[in-house]
Amino acid sequence: MRGKKIKDGNLEAVLSRFLEDDQHLVLGFEKTDKGIGHRIFKNSLDHFTLFNPEFSTNGAFYLRRLFSKGTDIILLLRPCEIRAYTELVKLTQIEREKITAVSIDCFGTVSSKEKTGDLPTDGEGIKDYFKDPSKMRWACSVCRERRGAVGDAGIRIDKSGVLWALPYTEKGESFLSLLEGEPEETTTEMALAPNEKIAQFESDLKRFAEDFSKCIMCKNCRNMCPVCYCIDCVFNGDEYLPKGDALLNKIFRTGSIAMPQGKELFHFIRMYHVSQTCVGCGACEEACPEGIPLTKYFKGVSERLQSVFSYMSGRSFDESIPYVTFLEEELKNADD
Amino acid sequence: MSEDKTEKKPEIVGFACSFCTFKASEMAGSLRLKYPDGVKLIQVPCSSRVDPAFLLKAIFEGADGVFVAGCHPGDCHFIKGNFYTRRKMAALKEMLDVFGMKDRAKLFWVSAAEARRFVEKVTGMYNEIKERKNARKEN
Repeated sequence: MRGKKIKDGNLEAVLSRFLEDDQHLVLGFEKTDKGIGHRIFKNSLDHFTLFNPEFSTNGAFYLRRLFSKGTDIILLLRPCEIRAYTELVKLTQIEREKITAVSIDCFGTVSSKEKTGDLPTDGEGIKDYFKDPSKMRWACSVCRERRGAVGDAGIRIDKSGVLWALPYTEKGESFLSLLEGEPEETTTEMALAPNEKIAQFESDLKRFAEDFSKCIMCKNCRNMCPVCYCIDCVFNGDEYLPKGDALLNKIFRTGSIAMPQGKELFHFIRMYHVSQTCVGCGACEEACPEGIPLTKYFKGVSERLQSVFSYMSGRSFDESIPYVTFLEEELKNADD
Repeated sequence: MSEDKTEKKPEIVGFACSFCTFKASEMAGSLRLKYPDGVKLIQVPCSSRVDPAFLLKAIFEGADGVFVAGCHPGDCHFIKGNFYTRRKMAALKEMLDVFGMKDRAKLFWVSAAEARRFVEKVTGMYNEIKERKNARKEN
């Protein structure tokens, strides 16, 4: 693949020049003494950092219902965020036209709830820090795509520590044309190899009930999920989670129930609804005040359901989401 | 749940396409064919109207089995609705399989003329679930 080497400081200079235009924005990470978080940069690129070893929210979340109105935006985010962005584009929640999505190699992240002390913010430092996978969040240790190989372009690190910018689409080409230098063939191997497959997820209702017994039904997991985008969520009314008299009726119909009621239903329906679009970023688990291992279930189930249709969420802009398309000659044994 | 000590009767909720399976169930009635009264049919305009969330709700509110029944692939009144149903149901079954409840949900293709096939399918499902339910009770 042909790409451009990024020299020290070159990317920042290029982005600063890009931001001189009033209609241009960059969504990336900002480093302050409190930690690292997302920021939409306008005019200047203060405290910008390319790598982020901390996970608090999925950046694609901020792009929902964004119709760019002639504003050029460059996204410099982690692969899971770019994948969620890709899914939202396919779900027509974002207008892709003026947005260039650049995914950056990710070596893993720590939970913003559990971080201790200062974390390195340069590529090599993060790579060394996460040599031991137990330091990263569980969601990251079983990540499906850590490489900056999604979106319009990618920024990748090779084995000798050199940064490369690689284009994947036409928009990626124009992003690359902002950078200095001539495109050249990538010679050395990249630091991150494709991930090995993890074992198929299996569980049962008993284990599920144990894990979710702490659930308080705050619905934070739904609210912070980047791909759970419906404005009129089925759980907003009391159709699915009855209240008052309807709740009494339900109890008389089905017997005694644990409160808060409807946990299984809520998580099962949400698991199904995001099954094809879930990127396994772990934002739900990050938002959960009770520390329920949500990623294990959501990621496990969604990977199995995606494999039914040989689909991978966020892999490309052209693949359509399995539930909105079909092939006539498939699933011949689906009926009983 | 039934109070019957000797035998538990399952309840099955079925979503039936109004253009085929629901017609078939009506025809089964006029042909005096019998199917178990634990099977409750809900008429939907097309099998693809059924969001698997409906089935999950039915399961968690106490149904022993749920099914979706629609026209044979290619015969949909709305041209392609049941192709979507097929994908959705395949995914739902895979998801239930993760939790070891694959046998709870079924998908049937029944055309408006197949009253006998409809009765066979639902009775088969009913008996299967009944057997399992009563077997579980013993131990």
